[in-house]
Amino acid sequence: MKIKINPTILGFIKKEFSQALRDPRMRMMLFAAPIMQMTLFGIALTSDVKNVRLSFQPRPNDTVLEHVVEHALASKWFISAHTTRMDPFEQVQSDEADVVIVPPPEGLTESIGRGQGRVQILVNASNVIKAQSVEAYIRSILDQVVANDFQRGITAPPIHFDMRILFNPSMETPVFMVPGVMSTLICLITILLTSMSISKEKETGTFEMLVSAPVKIWEIMLGKTLPYVMLGMSNIPLILAVAVFAFGVPMRGNLIILFIAAFFFICTTVAVGTLISVVTKTQQQSMMGGFLFLFPAIQLSGMMFPIENMPLGMKVLAYLNPITYFLEMLRNIMLKGGDSHVILSHLAVLALMAVILTTISYKKFHTTLS
Amino acid sequence: MKIARARAVARKEVFHILRDPFTLALALLLPLMMVTIFGIAIEFNVQNIKIAVYDGDRTQASRKLIDALGSSRYFLIDRAATQYSAIERVDAERDRAALIIDPKFEYDLLSGRGAEAQLILDGSDNSTVGSIISYFGTMQNLASEKITGEMQRPEVDLVTRFLYNPELNSKWFVVPGLMVVVLAILSILLTSLTVAREWENGSMELLLSTPAEPIEIIIGKLFPYVVLGLGAIAFVYAIARLGFGVPFLGNHLVFLLGSGLFLATYLAQGLLISVAARTQQLSMQIAMMSGFLPSMLLSGFIFPIESMPPFFRILTMLLPARWFMSISRDVFLKGSDLNDLKIPFIALACICSLMVTIAVRRFKRDVEP
Repeated sequence: MKIKINPTILGFIKKEFSQALRDPRMRMMLFAAPIMQMTLFGIALTSDVKNVRLSFQPRPNDTVLEHVVEHALASKWFISAHTTRMDPFEQVQSDEADVVIVPPPEGLTESIGRGQGRVQILVNASNVIKAQSVEAYIRSILDQVVANDFQRGITAPPIHFDMRILFNPSMETPVFMVPGVMSTLICLITILLTSMSISKEKETGTFEMLVSAPVKIWEIMLGKTLPYVMLGMSNIPLILAVAVFAFGVPMRGNLIILFIAAFFFICTTVAVGTLISVVTKTQQQSMMGGFLFLFPAIQLSGMMFPIENMPLGMKVLAYLNPITYFLEMLRNIMLKGGDSHVILSHLAVLALMAVILTTISYKKFHTTLS
Repeated sequence: MKIARARAVARKEVFHILRDPFTLALALLLPLMMVTIFGIAIEFNVQNIKIAVYDGDRTQASRKLIDALGSSRYFLIDRAATQYSAIERVDAERDRAALIIDPKFEYDLLSGRGAEAQLILDGSDNSTVGSIISYFGTMQNLASEKITGEMQRPEVDLVTRFLYNPELNSKWFVVPGLMVVVLAILSILLTSLTVAREWENGSMELLLSTPAEPIEIIIGKLFPYVVLGLGAIAFVYAIARLGFGVPFLGNHLVFLLGSGLFLATYLAQGLLISVAARTQQLSMQIAMMSGFLPSMLLSGFIFPIESMPPFFRILTMLLPARWFMSISRDVFLKGSDLNDLKIPFIALACICSLMVTIAVRRFKRDVEP
């Protein structure tokens, strides 16, 4: 099949590329920044809780307490807090410690010996996630130490769950975070650039020129959007290379399928950008409109918070969100090797979204122009 | 410097903002939306997680175990006919985890050897794995109790006092942090774009050729955004207190001081970006990468800073958002005063004065012939 390239669209693409890439700083932002961001967030972000500052109220001859503290500090979870105050509450209040162990006055060892073991911990709960983990850590350390010290043998509960984590057995942070960061970055770049590039024409008045020129509306639309689809696509191999080579995120599925998935996703996001630019008049408005879409879209994609937990209204929004589908597909392809049913159904949804969005913006384009 | 001239520039900017109700509406809608989504949609505790269950034992004990799981509102049981199909459902994104109960489950349990069930988790999904693991950790004791009927009294009672947020309410945790994100978006993005627009249109040259001095132009241009930013803070504050019942234990003046410093820092950064970039598209990209994403991801808003590798822990110290995050959270929930917060305040003030100096210098250097 011979593809005849429409010269008008070719002209548009050339113009758009030279406009977007003329500025070396813009080139840097478009290609170097995503790589940098990917690296930064891939390494830094973890929802694991580590390095919690632990303090305790000392009691004379309290060996169990000493062992608990030793165990805690030997684990990667806790570090010793440098405290200047005595009062446990003040230690947390002045932010010298995140958690303080307060044994009973007679000491933990004695209280357990008498069969009334009781220990209090004060946890700074201004970070909820952290507070929950800290409590669980202390509880497990305490159980271990008490079982050891009192020779009771670890009273293992009769039922034991043997847990196996598929696809990411050692729970590496980059493997968890990279697909999410990838979808976010692509989304950010394509939506905002597309919408701002069209409203820039409106702002400077060149849009009227375009309209009065002998080109068809679909040619304008395709010519303005295609370059951004291409720009978005050119980011995929870069980001993917960082993920695979720098972070060792596995790529178990088919590379071509991943590119097809990315293409469908980028078409959808570019369509979102186009729709935003049709409604807005200035670049500033486009940017704000882009945010108005992006912010909930990122939060409601299942990247950081499970969709299952959301109330019904939000769940509906989450399933109308292109990022949800791309993210799930990306995880499925990269980590699980790709399940044909998941991929096909998600591609279909993304395609449908792209078609609907493009149709709406085409109609709007028409009405604003005539 | 004359106040009157700065005021004239400010007046012009206010007209700009008012003439464009769309941006103004978005500037108010954005914080409202963010607070609503975070306040309503985000729950850190697991609920309704779909779990595939293969019961190879089909005994009373295994049924009790499944019932115990199903009756907690954490899990929705999805029965699978074979072990293989249970695992396959995880592959196909149908379920988040699979529980496989071996045929000898009850026999092992009654013989006192200890029964084992296999739990297979979907490691591709970071949002649920951690909570499912910790849930099953506590489930071990609970299920044992339910099935065998034997209470297992622990040797030591652990009494945990969760200070500042005794019920571990996610909203109390998230909403004060949101202040930072909302302010970051409004200040850095709006200013960098609005100043870049003047460069793009060429109206900056026009402004500069008037008798107004560069410093007056800066103050005049940025002042309306200070008001807008403070307005957004008041707005989020009202929603936090009235809508979500988040307590505010600290001093309002301390909070205002922190907000002011933070706002000034980001406005200066926005100005610097626009001077360096000159176009709106580039400004937006730089503002996003240097302002918005770090304030959301590296400030300790969701992801704890202490858990980051050492290099990043030091890097976050350069971010104003990190310091304002701890000020906002501590003033809201802990009721901290200036003395408790002296480190964040000193750090924020240093970053602020540095950023303002650089921005003003750079602006002056670029406009003077």
